[in-house]
Amino acid sequence: MKVEAIDYGDRRVYSVGAFNRGVASWLSRLPTVWVEGEVTELRRQARWASVFFTLKDPADGACLGVSMPRGQFDGLRLDLADGDRVHVYGRPELFEARGEFRLRALSLERFGLGEHLAALERLKQKLAAEGLFAAERKRPLPFIPRRVGLITGNDAAAKRDVLATITARFRPVNVLVGETYVQGPRAAGAIIETLRALCREDVDVIVLARGGGSFEDLLPFSDERLVRAVAACPVPVVSAVGHEQDTPLCDLAADARASTPSMAARLVVPDLAEVLQRLDRARAGLERGARRTLERERRRLDRAHERLDRAPRLLLERGRARLEHAAGRLRALSPHATLERGYAIVRSDGAIVRTGTAVEPGQKVDVELAEGGFGARVEETR
Amino acid sequence: MSEQPTFEAAQKELEEIVHRLESGEAPLDEALKLWQRGEELYRLCKERLDAAEGKIEELASRAEAAKS
Repeated sequence: MKVEAIDYGDRRVYSVGAFNRGVASWLSRLPTVWVEGEVTELRRQARWASVFFTLKDPADGACLGVSMPRGQFDGLRLDLADGDRVHVYGRPELFEARGEFRLRALSLERFGLGEHLAALERLKQKLAAEGLFAAERKRPLPFIPRRVGLITGNDAAAKRDVLATITARFRPVNVLVGETYVQGPRAAGAIIETLRALCREDVDVIVLARGGGSFEDLLPFSDERLVRAVAACPVPVVSAVGHEQDTPLCDLAADARASTPSMAARLVVPDLAEVLQRLDRARAGLERGARRTLERERRRLDRAHERLDRAPRLLLERGRARLEHAAGRLRALSPHATLERGYAIVRSDGAIVRTGTAVEPGQKVDVELAEGGFGARVEETR
Repeated sequence: MSEQPTFEAAQKELEEIVHRLESGEAPLDEALKLWQRGEELYRLCKERLDAAEGKIEELASRAEAAKS
């Protein structure tokens, strides 16, 4: 297609219409593709030839205008609402009169259950690979929280269950309720906002509670942004979303998962009566233990003391006996005992006479007996 | 031995003294000194146990009072 331009010297200038036509013709050569997004701002009027809506990327909020011939749109009977996820088959187009770029839809399909499941599975694999669901990431819940944050729909049975169970188990705890959307296209963003708001209120643990619902109803709880926000939440999060068989991804990212809202409440606060009872039992055990130790030490000390008291007397008796024994032996060894048996000691000039040849006849000797003694003269020697 | 031995140290020393006296190894005047020391250690240990018992009673009655 030929686009006319006006030459001003060496400057080539296009009229707006010519420029738009040029770009439009270039765009029309691009291939027809499928684009996925959420429907917002759907505008349909009987007198318009086309239906318009904006396709929004749920991950980053990028927007794309879409137009579709009204007859074709009505023929699909999709009954679309804001927030519905769709696949649009079309090609880029420029609305020349306004210079507006948009996707010209040739066909439109609602994002079906199969697509949702496949997308969910892909997201689950991706987040699992990042380690968002890893057991090491799970934080222990506080034993007794000072303040519990509760995120729930307004007037929901889930809210009533959590509050009733918490009150029954542990009345003194303070519960801060954050009411928010729990289904629909705005739910994920609203829940994230509430999560952050509760964290600012200095809660020790957050319960995310929602009763059962359809697969689509629970989809916000698998929203990537919400799952990441739960994982990144500075306080532990208990997730109680849907029924046992539902496993929204926020359940996997939470620090603890409860099958029902009242189970979540049981995880979050201990049973006060039970705690007091356990404390009482522990205290009684403590006292018994202290008394037992005391008794044991007392008996041990008494035993040592008894033995200590006996010891000196024992020692004295033993010493006395040893002394007597020694005295006995001493006496047995004394020369006097020998004299008693009839022996005599003969001395000459003070020296003991042991042989006959040691004296001469006529020599004077001195004889000692057991009692007394006498002087004598030697008659003969042998 | 320091001025204020722990209960365990005092008890251990007392038991060692008893053992030494009972073995009859110690000379008499040393044995008398050991006996004196032993009695001193016994008194010390007993005081500690009495104090501990008093403390237990006090804590127990305080816990009892807190309960009601």
